[in-house]
Amino acid sequence: MQRDTLVSFEGVIKRFGSFTAVQRMDFEIKKGEFLAIMGSSGCGKTTTLRMLAGLEAPSEGTIRLSGKPINHLPTWQRDTPMVWQSLALFPFLNVRENVEFALKMRGVGKAERQRRAEQWLDRMQILEFADRNIAQLSGGQRQRVALARSLVVEPEILLLDEPLSALDAALKVRMQSVLKNLQRETGITFVYVTHSQSEAFSMADRVVIMSRGVIEQIGTPQEIYGAPRTRFVADFLGSSNIFTGRVRAASPSAVEVDTPDGPLALAGGNLPAPPRQGDTATLTVLDTKTHLSVSRPTGQANVVPVRVIGEEFVGATATVYLETAKGQEIRVQKSHDELAGLPLDIGQELFVHWSPADSHLVAEA
Amino acid sequence: MRPRLSIYGLTFSLPLLVWQLLFFVAPLAFLVALSFWTVKNFTMRPDFDAVNWITMYGKPVFWQAYATTFALAASASVLASVLAFPASYAIAFKLSDTARRWAVFLMVIPFFTSYLVRVYSWQIFLSDAGIVNVLLGYVGLGPYPMLNTVGATMVGYMTLSLPLVILLQLFSLVFIDRNLIEAAHNMRCGRVRTVFEVVIPSARVGLVIAALFCFILTFGDFVSPVYLGGGDPTTLSILITDTTKSGQQWPRAAVIALTMIGTLLAVAFFAVRFAYAGNAKGARK
Repeated sequence: MQRDTLVSFEGVIKRFGSFTAVQRMDFEIKKGEFLAIMGSSGCGKTTTLRMLAGLEAPSEGTIRLSGKPINHLPTWQRDTPMVWQSLALFPFLNVRENVEFALKMRGVGKAERQRRAEQWLDRMQILEFADRNIAQLSGGQRQRVALARSLVVEPEILLLDEPLSALDAALKVRMQSVLKNLQRETGITFVYVTHSQSEAFSMADRVVIMSRGVIEQIGTPQEIYGAPRTRFVADFLGSSNIFTGRVRAASPSAVEVDTPDGPLALAGGNLPAPPRQGDTATLTVLDTKTHLSVSRPTGQANVVPVRVIGEEFVGATATVYLETAKGQEIRVQKSHDELAGLPLDIGQELFVHWSPADSHLVAEA
Repeated sequence: MRPRLSIYGLTFSLPLLVWQLLFFVAPLAFLVALSFWTVKNFTMRPDFDAVNWITMYGKPVFWQAYATTFALAASASVLASVLAFPASYAIAFKLSDTARRWAVFLMVIPFFTSYLVRVYSWQIFLSDAGIVNVLLGYVGLGPYPMLNTVGATMVGYMTLSLPLVILLQLFSLVFIDRNLIEAAHNMRCGRVRTVFEVVIPSARVGLVIAALFCFILTFGDFVSPVYLGGGDPTTLSILITDTTKSGQQWPRAAVIALTMIGTLLAVAFFAVRFAYAGNAKGARK
């Protein structure tokens, strides 16, 4: 789907004293998309969001909203409502007054304010709590008040800073679907900062992965999951097996890499840039795309002999931990049915194999 | 399970309890008893007669002094709160952590010197030949009579209460969640408006308690109205000394003192209720 650009970051840098929180950031947010910015703490994701909200000023570069530079605008002159991690609901106002606050600041009349607030309270299914004190609400209800309070002005963009982090696991999943549906129905652009891979990947149309103030990768969850662009992303997602070696042969259609565990092949369709012979190369393969067999499979390009070192069950799937003769760890994730009949005692010797088409080269970082 | 008396708990609470009984409850009880004594030929006699209450409450001069004292203390509370707020706001939100620590330290220094000494030094500034009038004389102004006015009394009240009011306000302001202020800004609430919409409601309890302390301190103050205000208009504290001096009327002075204690209890009760009223919001409808 082709969408217009709503926000663009152009060479944005943010320094706090001698510490650089965000280093030269260039990216765009499309109108109507659900964008997640993900990374571990201190990676610059919240700073990025705060710059967009106008709560921090960029040290260098330009942030544009609908094409217009907004660097110089204080937060109260932007329409970039934010939902805080702490929710930042006003404890001295009741639910209704909290939701009406932004409308009151815009000079909306009392009757209109009440109508619009009730409409959003109803939509968030908390109308019955309208006259309650914030302290009387549960975590999930507060979450809904915070959303209603930000959305009542019907903005073009909504910024969310880890809003679900205080909720328990079950409620988190429920609120994720509330958020996703809300975004789809309203068409409001959501920018969602989180450290949680499951939150980012389950809700977002596109994910930005940051590390140490740098964007490591931008893409759809499928793109990032299937083909991590950098070693950091592959490590961070933790769902790929990573091999490092030297390029033996490279053509536009195929690359062969010499690793301590033997030559590994990958199909050329997944190359970010064609590598040269002799280059160091890192390649990844998802743990769900690897297969196990007792005897050496024939006619396969990537076959590595391994020993079983452990096994872990999570719900319907199991992860088998294996080790090569050179000490390289490999994980294979399968359903219980797929593993049935395989001998998985510790020390058991097996063969791991995968298709060259499922393997990806990452830009070495 | 009913709470039981423990030796351990009693060891620590008993001295305080004894102290309170000895130096607060007992004198108060004596004051109540005293207010029913009678005076004949300049001699007090233990009695049980409501005559002092009837006499005092029937005197226009008593009610005059009561109204004056209440109005002065209330004005001082409003004035101190208004004067203190910009200072405590700046200290809480505009200063660095180090500068804030210094500011708190500076606010404590006035308490090093006796209040009486500070009030006397104001006399040197405010008298007709005082520092302020001499300086004004150099530019061809004055002299203005400043000592022995209500304004001078108010200056004394501020000397007494302002550092404490600033400290109390400050401690409620520094604990405001900064996210609330950012959230207000984020919802189009500008800087000044945020002070009224978010900062003051958030610090409500502390601000009211600070004003209450100012009221308590100034309502019973004797020093400023006498040494700066010149004893005119008469406050209740002045009326008490006048009453004891004129014909050994300690029982009537007790009536005034008890009325003051009752007033302070009532004001404190309503102030605290008002301070916490915002927290019960939502449950009221």
